Order: sequence, then C-alpha cells, then structure tokens
Amino acid sequence: MTRKVWPVAGALVALGVMAAPAGAGTLDTVKERGRLLCGVNTGLGGFSAPDDAGAWSGFDVDFCKAVAVAVLDDAGKVDYVPLTTAERFEALKSGKVDILSRNSTWTMGRETGFGLTFVGITYYDGQGFMVPRAANVFSALELDGSKVCVQGGTTTEANLHDYFTANNMAYEAVVTASPAESLAAYGDGRCNVITSDMSQLYAERLKLADADEHIVLPDAISKEPLGPAVRMDDPDWALLAKWVYFALLNAEELGVASDTVDEALSSGKPEVRRLVGLEGSFGEEMGLTKDWAARMIKAVGNYGEIYERNLGVDSPLGIPRGMNQLWSRGGIQYAPPIR
Amino acid sequence: MNFRTITRMFGRPAGFALAAVLGLALTAPTGVEAKQRKELAIQDQPGYVPTPQEEMLPPQYRPQPVYFRTNEAPGTIVIHTDERFLYLVQDGGRAIRYGIGVGRDGFQWQGLQKVSRKQEWPDWRPPPEMIQRQPYLPRFMAGGPGNPMGARALYLGDTIYRIHGTNQPQTIGYAVSSGCFRLVNRDVIDLFNRVPVGTKVVILQSAKL
Repeated sequence: MTRKVWPVAGALVALGVMAAPAGAGTLDTVKERGRLLCGVNTGLGGFSAPDDAGAWSGFDVDFCKAVAVAVLDDAGKVDYVPLTTAERFEALKSGKVDILSRNSTWTMGRETGFGLTFVGITYYDGQGFMVPRAANVFSALELDGSKVCVQGGTTTEANLHDYFTANNMAYEAVVTASPAESLAAYGDGRCNVITSDMSQLYAERLKLADADEHIVLPDAISKEPLGPAVRMDDPDWALLAKWVYFALLNAEELGVASDTVDEALSSGKPEVRRLVGLEGSFGEEMGLTKDWAARMIKAVGNYGEIYERNLGVDSPLGIPRGMNQLWSRGGIQYAPPIR
Repeated sequence: MNFRTITRMFGRPAGFALAAVLGLALTAPTGVEAKQRKELAIQDQPGYVPTPQEEMLPPQYRPQPVYFRTNEAPGTIVIHTDERFLYLVQDGGRAIRYGIGVGRDGFQWQGLQKVSRKQEWPDWRPPPEMIQRQPYLPRFMAGGPGNPMGARALYLGDTIYRIHGTNQPQTIGYAVSSGCFRLVNRDVIDLFNRVPVGTKVVILQSAKL
C-alpha cells in the first residue's frame, strides 16, 4: 500500500506550525501506533460512557470502533480520550486525538474557526418538546397556551420564543437555571411541556418516576446535526472516516448486518459485492484491505444496529429512528453509493 | 386462521414475491444471535386472558408520534416488518408508530394491500396446517377476550392475512411462530378506530441479499 505524500503538510511540519501526527498522515500514524485515539464525551448515556469496569460503549463509541476495525482490524484497539465541551476541538486540532466522535454539532464556525472538518451527520438532533402521554398531543403545533419549562439564557429559550411566535401560539415560559431544575418543575406540574434537544429530552425522561407516561414530540424546531470531526489538513483521513459512516449506512440499506454479512459474501448483487469487497478495490484505494467494510459490519454492525443498540429500541433511551431512519424508510439518512 | 404455510401462498396472486419467500425459507440464517433476539418460540394460548400489567408494553412499543417522511398519503399504513413497527401516516411528515409482532414464516412478502374488511372481536378458525402441528387447538373459537385474534381485525385484501389483536402481549416486538401482524388489544382498537375500509397498507421487508 502506498500513501500520498503531502508536501504542504510536510513543509508546515518542518516550520513547526503543524502538530506531528497530521504531517505524517493520520492513517499511517494510527497504523504505526496500533491504536486509534478517539475523542469522546466524558459520559453521556447512549452516546459515550464508560461502565464500572472502564469499558466504553455508546453510539459515538461505536463509530470509534468501526474506524478501528477498518484500519486495525480490532474494535478493541481504541484509546478513548474523554473530552469536555471546552477542550474538544483544541484536542483534535493539536493532534491529541485522531478523530473526535463526541456528539458535536456541525456548524460553519467550527469548521472555519478550528481547522477541522465534519465527516457527516451521524445523528440528526434538534430542539423538541416532551409532554405527558395523557395530554394526547401529537404535534408541537398543538401546544398553544402551554407552560413550557426552558433553561434561561440559552439558544433553546430563543428558539422556543421564535417557534411559538412564528406559529401564533401563546405560551408561558417557566425559566429555570438547569436541566435538572426544568425536570423537577415539569415533574411538579409547574409546567406541562419541557423543551431541550430531543436526545437530551429522552435522557431526562428516564429520570422521571413514570417515564413511560411521557413522550417526546416528533417535531424538531432547530437543527443540531451531530457527527464526527477530523483535522482539515488530512483529506485522506477525512475521506476514510466519511466512508466508514457511508458504508455503515449503505450496509443497512442493502440488508447487510452483523448476522448476514457472511451470507452477503456469496451475494450476486453488485452493490452488495462492492460493499463487502468482492468487487472493486475501494478498500485498497483508501489504504485499507479489500474487506474493510465487511470486517467492520461483522464487528460493530451496520448503522441501524448501532443505532438501535445504543439509542433505539434495544436501549433504555428508546429513541425512535425518526430523522435518523434511512431516506428510503421515512428518515433523512442518505449515503452516496459505493461504486 | 392467522397462520398459513408457504404452500398456501402458491395459490395467491402475483405480487407476493414467491421466489423471495421460498429463498428466505431456504436460506434463512440459523443460530444467529441478532435475529434470535427478535424471535420468540411460543404457541398460541386460546382462552388465555392477559392481565392489564402484561398489556402494558415497554415504552418503545407503545404508540407514539414519530417523524416519518414519506410519499404515501396521510392515512396510509406502512409496516416495517424487520423493525416490528407499524406506521399510520399523518400529515406534516409524521406518523403514529405502533409496536407489532410479526409472523416468522407466514408473512415474509412485501408489497401493497388494502384493508378489505374490519371486524370487531373476530372469530378464530385455525387452518388445517396449524391443527396438524398443534392438535389440541380448537377448530373454532368465538370472538372475545382470550381469543388469539384479539379485539379487532383488519383484513388485508383477499389474502388470508390480517392486522389483528392478541391475547399474548409479550409477542409484541418479536417474530412469532404463527401470526400475521399483531398489536395489543388496546392498540389495535385505537388503530381500528382511525382507519376505514379501503386504507392502503404498504408492507416493507429488509433488503434481500
């Protein structure tokens, strides 16, 4: 396998401008090291959290594992680097991690300001509303006249105002200082609606004694596209991370899962054959083996499996696929084809 | 009569993807963890009346509004068999999602049907194939609590298949050895009240390899 040389990056390293890992090519660095350094959340149920024995799991963690399997053929060869909100982008920029998989919202400013690039939207989040099931409300547009718990001084509060105003609905904001206070107020009946990012609402819901009696409405009133990010100066690495995500999605769409991937190896469908490496040399062209995607799917599953295991129907959170369902099945997850 | 063998399907009109059905029956992976997790080996229990606690499903299988982007018109039923969910399309890119149990080997086709008939507390006539396998089953059971067909049934076209209730709430979320699309009685009553005869029913399977 040959890697492209990056003269510009090399020159920058020589000038001492760039951190060493970037100049050497992240893929080669990871292979030499034999470990993937993955920046994750310090602890967020469903996305990334360590268990009592220190083993990490979650939706974002599984993306780290998928990359590790693609590159190193071992989901265990990941060093998880827990990062706070404040330090995450600097940690990526400085080369402390190879990839950041930490429920981070893709915004323009983060790409232009930090010299990083998002590899895709692995999870479409957005601000939403939680209401008691008994209220029999099915749409956010039915919330006219509600008392809404919201954390003060946040964009959430501003979005709430904009949404109700734009839709000619009256509301009373019950302004709180923290998510915990909002939840307490909601539990006490001081408000009958609570607003926050939807993934957050599902996590908060679990803390209610009668969690099953509350639902999160499907309407998102803001855009919070979450995804992994890499340094902008290593396009080969960015491309690899991007196609890890796309391959996981394509696998689900084609019916290739951890338990069907062996069967897929004898498939006659060209799309399936290219995905699992029976045709083409897509893996080699990225500096990986032919069967990179097959190994990955076998070890961590396809996108749907990763979703359901950590966030969906097989997890305590029970977040419906919603926007994160495949484009062909009611959602907006859409991957370019492998060909 | 919520169960038929594949041989019965030979008599069905085209569009039932017979080859796919056969292929699936022959190549269905065995001893596979992820699939097994979603299958349940359970016999019908005619006469059994579930307790209210049993009918209280895990939250993810209870009806809830979800984001659902589709070209199908509001009012259409879309069933994602592999997900174990039935979606009743609403306006504004939403759907009401119900948890369902699906037939393991009786209902593996995909395509379009229409609700041809609605029945409250349907009677149950286990088909001969089923009697052969479970000889103790009654030949006829009048509709009512304890009937495996549950509180309501929506007949699908001129097929033998139905969306119906169940007296076995624990089968929701699973593929079971017999059965079409089953919902707990409370949910099938809710669905029954929302859809008229003539409702379009779209059934989707996961992609075939």
